[in-house]
Amino acid sequence: MSVPGQPAPAGATEIGTASPAVVGARSDDSRVATKERLALLMRSKSFLAGAVVVGFFVLCAIFGELIVKDPLASDPINDLIAPSADSWLGTDKLGRDVFSRVIVGARDILIVAPLATILATVLGTALGLITGYFRGVVDDVLSRIIEAFLALPVIIMGLLVAVALGPSKTTLILTIGILFAPLISRTVRAAVLTERELEYVSAARLRNERTPYILFGEILPNVMGPIIVEFTVRLGYAIFTAAGLSFLGFGIPAPSPDWGLQVSEHYSLISGGFWWPVLFPSLAIAALVIGVNLIADGVASAFER
Amino acid sequence: MRAQRSELENHIIDEYRAGYIGRREFMRRGAVVGMSLPLVGFLASACGTEEKGGSSADGEESNKAAVKKGGVFKTGIQIPGSDLDPLKVNNQGSLGVLAQSAEFLIFSDRDLKPVPRLAESWEPNDDGSQWTFKIRQGVKYHDGTPMTSEDVAATFNLHADPDNGSNALSAFTGVLSKGGAQATDETTVVFELDAPNGNFPFNTSSDNYNLVILPKGFDPTTWPKNFQGTGPWRLDKYSPNQGVTFTPNPDYWDKTRSVLPERHEMTFYEKEAAGILGIQGGEVDVLSQFSAINGKPLLTDPNISVIELRAAQHRQLHMRTDKEPFTDKRVRQAVALLLNRDNIVKGLLEEKSDYGNDSPFAPVYRTTDKTVAQRKQDVEKAKALLAEAGKENFSVELRTWENFEMPQYAALVQNDLKAAGIDVKLNITDAGSYYGDAVFGKSPWLDSTFGITEYGHRGVPNVYLGAPLKSDGTWNSSHFKNKAYDALNTEYVAALDLQTQRTAAKKIQEMLLDEVPIIFSYFYFYLSALKPTIAGVNVSAMGHVDVTQGGVKA
Amino acid sequence: MIFLAAQVLPGDVARRILGPFADQASVDALSKELGTDRSLIAQYWGWISSFVTGDLGQSPAQSRPVSDIVVDAIVASGKLALLAFIIVVPLAIAGGVVAAMNEGSLRDRLISVGGLSATAIPEFVWAVLFILVFSLGLGLFPTTAQFPEGAGIFTQIKYLLLPALCLVCVLFGYIARMARAGTIEALEADYTRTAVLKGLAQRTVIRRHVLRNSLLPTIAVVATQAGYLIGGLVIIELIFNYQGIGLALARAATQKDIPVLQSGILIIGVVYLVATLIADILYSVLNPRVRLEAAE
Repeated sequence: MSVPGQPAPAGATEIGTASPAVVGARSDDSRVATKERLALLMRSKSFLAGAVVVGFFVLCAIFGELIVKDPLASDPINDLIAPSADSWLGTDKLGRDVFSRVIVGARDILIVAPLATILATVLGTALGLITGYFRGVVDDVLSRIIEAFLALPVIIMGLLVAVALGPSKTTLILTIGILFAPLISRTVRAAVLTERELEYVSAARLRNERTPYILFGEILPNVMGPIIVEFTVRLGYAIFTAAGLSFLGFGIPAPSPDWGLQVSEHYSLISGGFWWPVLFPSLAIAALVIGVNLIADGVASAFER
Repeated sequence: MRAQRSELENHIIDEYRAGYIGRREFMRRGAVVGMSLPLVGFLASACGTEEKGGSSADGEESNKAAVKKGGVFKTGIQIPGSDLDPLKVNNQGSLGVLAQSAEFLIFSDRDLKPVPRLAESWEPNDDGSQWTFKIRQGVKYHDGTPMTSEDVAATFNLHADPDNGSNALSAFTGVLSKGGAQATDETTVVFELDAPNGNFPFNTSSDNYNLVILPKGFDPTTWPKNFQGTGPWRLDKYSPNQGVTFTPNPDYWDKTRSVLPERHEMTFYEKEAAGILGIQGGEVDVLSQFSAINGKPLLTDPNISVIELRAAQHRQLHMRTDKEPFTDKRVRQAVALLLNRDNIVKGLLEEKSDYGNDSPFAPVYRTTDKTVAQRKQDVEKAKALLAEAGKENFSVELRTWENFEMPQYAALVQNDLKAAGIDVKLNITDAGSYYGDAVFGKSPWLDSTFGITEYGHRGVPNVYLGAPLKSDGTWNSSHFKNKAYDALNTEYVAALDLQTQRTAAKKIQEMLLDEVPIIFSYFYFYLSALKPTIAGVNVSAMGHVDVTQGGVKA
Repeated sequence: MIFLAAQVLPGDVARRILGPFADQASVDALSKELGTDRSLIAQYWGWISSFVTGDLGQSPAQSRPVSDIVVDAIVASGKLALLAFIIVVPLAIAGGVVAAMNEGSLRDRLISVGGLSATAIPEFVWAVLFILVFSLGLGLFPTTAQFPEGAGIFTQIKYLLLPALCLVCVLFGYIARMARAGTIEALEADYTRTAVLKGLAQRTVIRRHVLRNSLLPTIAVVATQAGYLIGGLVIIELIFNYQGIGLALARAATQKDIPVLQSGILIIGVVYLVATLIADILYSVLNPRVRLEAAE
């Protein structure tokens, strides 16, 4: 999509600012800007910290099952044993090893949340581009509908969908994806509104480029910044929401070692002193969300300038 | 004296003297057929020896202590699933509330004994197709109007009438039709049954939890405002979904059960976990039921007293006999043999359960033939059977819903079946999705190949033997259509005395062990939790909570 | 729209009410009574025509007017949300301002990172933690939020405090961060420097200019959080056994109680729009630029 060739203008330090003068150079600017941004990112403490945490869980998700005991192996007679040498984080109410379940539990949530967020971002971006670019009637109508969707509480809708279609990873991805899209579309729309006034857009129109090209070829690369930031922010919320729905029993179904599910299955037991099946999955959720938020923070600062 | 008794009653006396039945069972059987209690007691002491039985836990002893009068009694109970309309009551929360202000002809107590309440006595004709009940006189409703035999007949006909949509209709199908109950005079009601039935009194008891006796002008739109009944408690205030409060009925007829507390406050818990936390936090005095697996803190907490009742409540793990892979009974037997019942009883249920032997005949029933050998896990035999049937390494979906320990039971089934290469996929939803429209073709409960369904306690196994297993049964998830079984079922139902019942039971037990359309792997105890400072609470495995004699220990 | 979505839900209302073990004849009888055997269009029309006249109809699952159910539930949740907001807004704004004023210091770090971590922990974890420590451990608060009928305001607060605190934990971080960002921006803005140059004491400067401007983004955030809050309410209400709108809607979804679902969601939508509207108004009132223009 980008036009190759022209060397970067001398003002390469001006990251991200639009140079209306030359059409082609803009794409180059973006490429250079990306490199600079990545460098910034690598230097950001919060980004690195977050990446480490999330990276750890990703590893768990991919390789977890290979190195831990079977998370589904039940041994009900040996249920609720406290953490010990044999079972590092103790056993749950069916005698399953909590440590294995925490490690393997990363997998489902790391499939559902990112996919849902990607879906939301794709949908939201498309909607944002359309409403931001076209304005007028299209914008009005679509925006109203989008706002209507915004008013729908995510968890209630998630519940409804889970009841209608049966709880599964797919329904969860679809629900969260569709319901998060409106928020993203609003951000994208705002960015597009600014961009469309810039000269490169009118230049493209003068060249009689087809609208889809203008939208996706010209404008999109230049709003990638806010989109990426939105993605990382929404990812945290998606994890949160998926855990919440699983807690209610309408998310990832049993007997998945999903963390939200583990907490809901065991919280009535804490008063009996059985704290470990609740504490460790909770810590895992918190750690993952904090990690993602740290990444989001780092990304946001890198794109802010 | 014997000359005056009917043949049936003599048979029971003979059984007792011959040692076929213990004292407890004698008293129970005698009561079922309507022998008056003092007579039964006299005969029992004259003829036999004491028998050990029932349940015993620390909670039992503690619960027997003397109590102080007065105070506010607080009970925690499951949230009622529907309105408090006697026609619609269908879960433990609602039946527990219903039974506070209204009463039954007979109360089926914790020993599965029928205790006379609004009925003083009852007796069958020779073949058990007609039962005559004597109705207690001098009983008044809360508003002062007297309770009469016409009210009784009207109540039964109300529930037996298909147009009224009562939840109890399924209990009466094939037993009693609309108009079958008639008040022949002021003190008598005669029930003309559709077929001979030796256990009919249980259909008129608290087992059939919708059948509280209502005034004959019962109007479902006004009744929820005052919960009109003859019971020891009067409605004070009802807050839907939150709770209900009752105050004592000063004109209650049963002076042996005069109400001790000043008020009874019932709190509804949406989730079991909330109830468990509630009693530990001291917010209620009694938690009417909890499950062993989720309530482990209560079992180990020295500040909580637990009452255990041996009961017939269970889960049915059905297999569609008309669908692959379960069409061959060898496959079904294999599945039954793969289950590790020790794990289930000792681990899942914390030993608060009896073993199930793949038939509705729970160990708690006296009609159960105990000589039939208990099925045990045998993985090798299971594998051999599967190989013989040519069905190895198949995959099947197991459906159930999120309730008490059922999801964990499903997980255990999944694990146990893995040993023989069977891949079980779990599909656990909410109640609504599992039951669907509750008719064949529109309900996973009835259509699924492999599923787990919950069944509450009953004083006799008739309900379990009927709808889930008869060829035309409306709850027949396994699509079990076996004429021989149907005949045995009729034999059992019509049997009037223990011995005949037991003979039929044995045949049914053996047939079901062989055909195994449904796996019954456990019959779990009914567990209630009490504060140790509280005593005098009378609970039944059905979910009834009688706190009239309850209070703080003196 | 909601009507159609709910229709997709499996299950028949009458059957849900009576339960799976009731006889089919009973179910048919009840269906007739409820009118659920009419065609979809007839049902929708019936509902819409009554809704606009303020009659929300009867809940088939509970035989009570929908308006009773929904209004009771919203009021209940409202109390909880109100308590939470009363606690969190001042606390979070103060926290954000303090953090901004001491930007980069340990205090700032603590507040920012602490707030961030608190938000990352799901509500159900906070709920369980609080119950464990404050209810069962210290015995200070009840384990359920459902206060008895006719309880006085202090009793109500006592019952609602723990669930409200859960909400506070979840909201604090985000609001504090917004307040902090707004304050920093305001501190560096021209008009602040002007004010300081003019000789105004720092405190006055804060009060007059900075606060007002840090409030702006905060208000925007609070309003948008309203929608998300409802979701969190379901979980908290379930754990604390509190009959609020979250629980009512969850129950309506599983019982296929369409009138309650429709009315409930619609009313939440209205509340959300009103909240956004109020936020907009407050925004313009507090935004000095807007007011200056108006003054001119």
